[in-house]
Amino acid sequence: MSLLEVRDLHVRFGQTAAVRGADIVVERGETHCIVGESGCGKSVTSLAVMGLLAKGAERRAARMAFDGIDLLPMNERALSRLRGDRIAMIFQEPMTSLNPAYTVGSQMAEVRTRHKGGTRRAALDRAEELLGRVGITAPGLRLGQFPHQLSGGLRQRVMIAMALMNDPELLIADEPTTALDVTIQAQILRLLAQLQAELGLGLMLITHDLGVVARVATRVSVMYAGQVVETATTAELFANPRHPYTRGLLDCLPVPGKLPPGSQLGTIPGMVPKLTEGFRGCGFRSRCAYAQPACEADIPLYGTTHLSRCVLSA
Amino acid sequence: MTPAIEIRNLAKRFNVKQGFFGKPREVRAVDGVNLRLEEGATLGIVGESGCGKSTLAKLILGLLAPTEGDVLVAGQSLGALDRRARARLIQPVFQDPFSSLNPRRRVVDVVAMPLVAQGGLSGAEIRAQSLAMLERVGISAEMAGRYPAQLSGGQRQRVAIARALVLRPRILLCDEPTSALDVSVQAQILNLLAELRRDMGITTLFISHNLAVVEHVADAVAVMYLGRFVEYAPAKELFAAPRHPYTRALLASVLTPEPGLGVPDVGLGDAMPDPSNIPPGCRFHPRCPVAIARCSTEAPPLVGGAECHLLTP
Repeated sequence: MSLLEVRDLHVRFGQTAAVRGADIVVERGETHCIVGESGCGKSVTSLAVMGLLAKGAERRAARMAFDGIDLLPMNERALSRLRGDRIAMIFQEPMTSLNPAYTVGSQMAEVRTRHKGGTRRAALDRAEELLGRVGITAPGLRLGQFPHQLSGGLRQRVMIAMALMNDPELLIADEPTTALDVTIQAQILRLLAQLQAELGLGLMLITHDLGVVARVATRVSVMYAGQVVETATTAELFANPRHPYTRGLLDCLPVPGKLPPGSQLGTIPGMVPKLTEGFRGCGFRSRCAYAQPACEADIPLYGTTHLSRCVLSA
Repeated sequence: MTPAIEIRNLAKRFNVKQGFFGKPREVRAVDGVNLRLEEGATLGIVGESGCGKSTLAKLILGLLAPTEGDVLVAGQSLGALDRRARARLIQPVFQDPFSSLNPRRRVVDVVAMPLVAQGGLSGAEIRAQSLAMLERVGISAEMAGRYPAQLSGGQRQRVAIARALVLRPRILLCDEPTSALDVSVQAQILNLLAELRRDMGITTLFISHNLAVVEHVADAVAVMYLGRFVEYAPAKELFAAPRHPYTRALLASVLTPEPGLGVPDVGLGDAMPDPSNIPPGCRFHPRCPVAIARCSTEAPPLVGGAECHLLTP
């Protein structure tokens, strides 16, 4: 049984279809990256899994299960018992996701006592241990500090430590290093990879950065215009991308050593289509060099292990 | 030959008060920067947040007055020029194309503004020149009549570039010009900038935290740490054989899209650089994985473009 299984997820905000076909499976002990450009639906997908969509959003899916437990019929109460406990989440902006009015220690302890009970003292001890584990020096001192007293890199470490308070089985991280410097990014990603290997977590990592994907992912799902358009193991996706969008995206990157400096970078002409009601078929067809009439109909994911939502892969 | 831009011992210090009764503290944002750049070259300036990149950009644009030192463009000191003359020599492109364009003006009027401010041209000429420059960056006459909010992020950045180039300045200063854009759009903007630089022979300062992008566009690279250039070298040399330990750490932390390599151990620790509390000796020593005793007491000399004790013979 997969740790997380999402089949044919759709999310609509009024007239706009934000997600119109996302299939994501996360296994225990693997890092599954969801990659795509702004507006492709990658963050909405993760929020839909957690039941954190804004009011007014419509969500439907063929299946959405965590460790075999069906998430679809769950009410808010049942979901909130799961969130922060067996499923934890890290967001991009550690400044806005930590409460500025409470100390690091009290925010971390609350996560523990709320789900597992026990004393505040025991929870603080655990918080201190975890802060040390994520590489924060003088963790005892940090417990008494407020978020504004910490640097961006430290805050993100606090977020990670907080996410680990209840030994989650699934960790969803939405652009966890986007706001950080490259040196700090490397430290945080290394830490996440280490923790994931030690604790056997399933990690769902959402990012726009193909460099991050290449270095940390076991499997990759590429999203475009609300759909997962390609899913494969990382080595397979980079060596043998099938969907024209994935190929276009890889060509846009300046890769030191592969592309001589100053040479023309590949581009993807055109723009993302407006996903209004009634939009059917491949979202990439208006920008695709291989578009044909068949692209206007709904296209399934073709393949068995390397999946591609493209008529050319049929 | 007179260099296109020359910076001599430039420094900017701010006095920041902490709290109501706090003692004012001195923040040394830029702390002794020297630079000579030949006509038509592109210099990449890289460094982490808080290293002084943006303050340096503001000093070069004349938006801040330096505490010490001078910036010379085509042999003229910026401090001695008025705003209009400065605007003819140097123009910026900023990171965020959403906040750097006036939302209440049509695109063509946004681009026309520098020409209007200079004076001396008729309305028809100004319009013609603005439309020609917009055309040059890939914005059609039809789009020129729209408002910035009706354009995508990439199109807005094209408008910002047109506005910067409409006066045909000597120097273009790009401060993180593609950081807010998606990679497919980033590629378009980088290609456009490369083309314009070639055609117009414009000297470019390119500030970015993205080293892969800098390697792609720059002829020379300056690595900034706590207000100083700790290494300054031709791009090829710097990327092939970085000399300063900080440059090496920065390069090591770039995650290229090559699967199977994992995430490197950068070895920098978590002592964060603080420009209001610059360490004695070498400013990088608290984070340096190879520091020796001398590093914490003596400022390192400049050896072959890099400031590091380990490079002294």
